[in-house]
Amino acid sequence: MLPLANILARPLRTAVSVLAVGVGVALFLVLVGLTGMLDEIARRTTQVEAHLMVWPASDQVVVSGGLPAEKVEKDLEGVAGVEHAIPVLRWPFKMAGRVQNVYGIRPEDWRYFASEDQILEGRALADGPEMVIDARLAAAGGYRVGQTVERWGHAFRIVGIAKEGVAGRVFMPIDTVGEALQQTSRRASFFYVRVVDPSHVAAVREAIRERGLNVFTLEEFYDVLASSFIDMDLVIGSVVFVAGFVCFLVILLTVYTMVIERTHEIGILKGIGASRAQVFGLVLSEAGLIAGAGIVTGFLLTWGGRALILHLQPLWTVEIPPLRYLLAALLAAGGTLLGAAQPAARAARQDPVESLRYE
Amino acid sequence: MTPIIETQSLVKVYRADGVETPALRGVDLAVAPGEFVSIMGPSGCGKSTLLYLLGLLATPTEGTVRIDGQDAGTLGDGGRTRLRRRHIGYVFQRFNLLPTLSAEENVGLPMRLRGERPGSAPREMLRAVGLEEKRRRRPNQLSVGEQQRVAIARALATRPTVLLADEPTGNLDSEASDRVMDLVGRLHRGTGQAIVLITHNRQVADRADRLIRMHDGRLVDA
Repeated sequence: MLPLANILARPLRTAVSVLAVGVGVALFLVLVGLTGMLDEIARRTTQVEAHLMVWPASDQVVVSGGLPAEKVEKDLEGVAGVEHAIPVLRWPFKMAGRVQNVYGIRPEDWRYFASEDQILEGRALADGPEMVIDARLAAAGGYRVGQTVERWGHAFRIVGIAKEGVAGRVFMPIDTVGEALQQTSRRASFFYVRVVDPSHVAAVREAIRERGLNVFTLEEFYDVLASSFIDMDLVIGSVVFVAGFVCFLVILLTVYTMVIERTHEIGILKGIGASRAQVFGLVLSEAGLIAGAGIVTGFLLTWGGRALILHLQPLWTVEIPPLRYLLAALLAAGGTLLGAAQPAARAARQDPVESLRYE
Repeated sequence: MTPIIETQSLVKVYRADGVETPALRGVDLAVAPGEFVSIMGPSGCGKSTLLYLLGLLATPTEGTVRIDGQDAGTLGDGGRTRLRRRHIGYVFQRFNLLPTLSAEENVGLPMRLRGERPGSAPREMLRAVGLEEKRRRRPNQLSVGEQQRVAIARALATRPTVLLADEPTGNLDSEASDRVMDLVGRLHRGTGQAIVLITHNRQVADRADRLIRMHDGRLVDA
C-alpha cells in the first residue's frame, strides 16, 4: 500500500527510473541477442552431412583464389577412410540489400546440404544459371520461384526455396559460379569431407593434414568461427556493462533522493511504530516495484526493438532464449535492490527525533 | 498502583559540534493507568524532549524510563520499538499524516506495522472522530482540525495504554481546538487510556486530571 502510494506520488521520477531499468534490460537482451547472429552463421556453416572441412592455406587463397578443385578432390578421395569430398566455391553476391555468400556446389552434392523435404517450394539445384535460396532470404527480398536475378551481366533463375538453416542462403551450381568468376579451371574455396566410418574421423584428419592441407572437424570449425567473434562479444559485453552500471547509478540516485526527501515521513513511521527492518523493507519495496515495472518495460522495449531491427535488417538474427529473459530480470532486480540497499540502510538508521524535526 | 509510565532522574543532553545543551536536568514523573496529565511550560523548557523520551523515540543521557514496569534502557532498538507499538500512541503538533495515504489508510498504518490486518477498525475510529464520510480523502483534502482528528484516530487505533500528545491544538483555531479536546476527553473517558499532553494553552491544560509545569528542564510544580 505505502510503497505503491509513494512511488505514484512522484510519477515523473518514477517513470524515469522505470525507463532506466527498462532500457538496461532491453539493451542487455537485444545486444546479447544480436550475438546470436554470429552463432547462427557458425551453426549454419557446419550444418552439413559431412565430418571434416578442408581449407587452403591463406597464401593459396591470395595467390590463386582457392584450391584447384579436381586435384584436391582426387587427393582427398585418395586418403584412406574418405568417402567423398564436396567442393564449395564461395562468391560474394548482393541480394536483399546485403552481400550473401553464394555456395557454389555440384548439383549432385545437394543432398549433403539439404534433404528433399527441406525444399519448401520449387526444386533442388540442377545445372545452368540457376539458384536455390533459403526461405529467410526469399522473405527478406520478396523473391519467388521463377524470378530471375541479374548480377554482373549474368541472369540467374530462382528454381527453389529451401528451409532456413541450410549452410548458405544462396546455392548455385559450382560451374555457374566458376564461369561468372571467369575461372579457367575449376577451383574450390573449401571442401567438406565425408568419412566412411565417423569413429575414424581423427585418423582421417591426421592423414589429410599430412598432405599439407588445413583440416578441421565441423565441431572444431564451429569453435574457430565462434571464437573469431570474441572481439564482437567483448564490445557488446562492455556496452551491456556500461548500460547496467548507468542503470544502477540512476536507481541509487533515485532512491537516495527519495529517502532524503522523505526524511520527515520516515520519522513519522518510526513514531507510529515502524522498526528499522520495516523502514528498510519499505524502501526496498519501492525499489522492487520500480524494478518490476522496469523489467516489464524492458521486455516490451526488447520486443519492440527486436521487431524494429528485423524490420530494418530482415536477415539479422536476434536470438533471445527464454532463460535469458529470466537472467535479465534477475540482473535488473539484483542491480536495483543493490542500488537501493545503501539508501534503505540510511533510512533505517535515521534518528526518529531528528527525522521528525527535518523540514 | 504501578505507574503505566515512570521516569527516574531523567537527563537529556544534546551534543552538537562539541557544544552540550542540556534539555532535561533530572525529571521524575509517574503517570498512573488512565490518568490524564498535562504539562505546561515555556518554549525550550524540554517538554517535547520529555515526550520523545516517554515515547521511546529518543534515549536518555542518564536516568530511566519504565513503561508498564519495563525498563526501556535495558532494551535494544527492536525491543523499544515493540514496547512503543504495544503501549504508546503519539499525536504530533503538526499532525504528521502521511500525505500519500488516505485518512483511512493513515489510521490503519500502525496496525499494519504491528502485522495486523486493519479490517474495519480504521473506519470505526474515523466514525468515532466524526470523519467516516471523509475516510478516502488525503490529508491535503482535509482541514487542519480534521487532520488532527485523523491523527488522534491513528494514535488510538491500536488501543495503546498511553497517549502522548505534543501540543495537539497548537496549530488549530479555538473552535477546532475545542472540538479536538472534547474528542480527546470523550475518548479518554471511553477507553481509560493514560494521556500525557503538552500544551501552551491553559484552557487545554485544565482539562487534565493533573497539571505539571516545566521550567529549564525540570518539573517545577507537579
